Amino acid sequence: MSQLDNIIHQPARLRIMASLVALDPGEQVDFVYLRKILDLTDGNLGAHLARLEDAGYVKIQKTFISRKPRTFINATGKGRDAFEEHITALEAIIRAKKENDK
Amino acid sequence: MDISEKEARDSLDQIQAVSTRTRKTIAAGYDSAVLIMWGLIGILAFLGTHFFLRWAWPIWISLCGAGCIATLVLSWWQFRSGNPVKVSAAEKIGWRIFWFWTLLFVYMFIWLSILSPLNGIQLNAFMITTIMFAYVVIGLWFKCYYMVWLGISVTFTTLIGYFLIPSNYYCLWMAATAGGAILGTGLYIRLFWK
Repeated sequence: MSQLDNIIHQPARLRIMASLVALDPGEQVDFVYLRKILDLTDGNLGAHLARLEDAGYVKIQKTFISRKPRTFINATGKGRDAFEEHITALEAIIRAKKENDK
Repeated sequence: MDISEKEARDSLDQIQAVSTRTRKTIAAGYDSAVLIMWGLIGILAFLGTHFFLRWAWPIWISLCGAGCIATLVLSWWQFRSGNPVKVSAAEKIGWRIFWFWTLLFVYMFIWLSILSPLNGIQLNAFMITTIMFAYVVIGLWFKCYYMVWLGISVTFTTLIGYFLIPSNYYCLWMAATAGGAILGTGLYIRLFWK
């Protein structure tokens, strides 16, 4: 049976993962852009990304484009699998409640 | 970890909202700019053809030529610096899309030389529906579903224009519906998907 993931379940991290998993596997999103989409502060987003990176769920790549530093982030295969399992666990909770109500 | 059914439902709703917002926000940048530009080109070219029929060819060739160059410049700029989403195979995909459009136009001229359309309206309806077919294919391929709907809608209005609208008003109809739909989609994405 699928289990809820403690790391992903935190609301800000859940939104970060939802946003990253919405991209295709070959795509990476810019840090500033992700911050704008999720409406988080620099520090907040950075801290949650570091937690997700420690768990191996995201990959953070720092690079230079036109001599300007840019940070790109993408969900790893492990992160995608964990997120998928987390969703399955959430759906199972809703299903179980429905069955109990019958 | 135990959570309530309400909490689970809220989490799923949040996931859905964030994924939709992410995809839409990405489309709001580059896609909307290209659509607005081609929508305006369509409107100007159709209106130009309606009011200055003798100049139809130069109008279409100069406007479409300028549009192609502007699209290439925009794509290059987007790829080099402005793109918030980096695709690991972006260069490869970009070239494939470029060759897809180039080959489509080569094939259109092959088909046109075989089919030999009798008049300008046939030629125009053929080209617009072929380009819209490409929109549908690209939309399905890249899961960009608004392109599928746009392609189908403009094809539908082109068929109405071709079969039901008097030929004198064909260009006005197409300026309003085809050009209007492309421009409207671009504006909608820019204004509401950000």
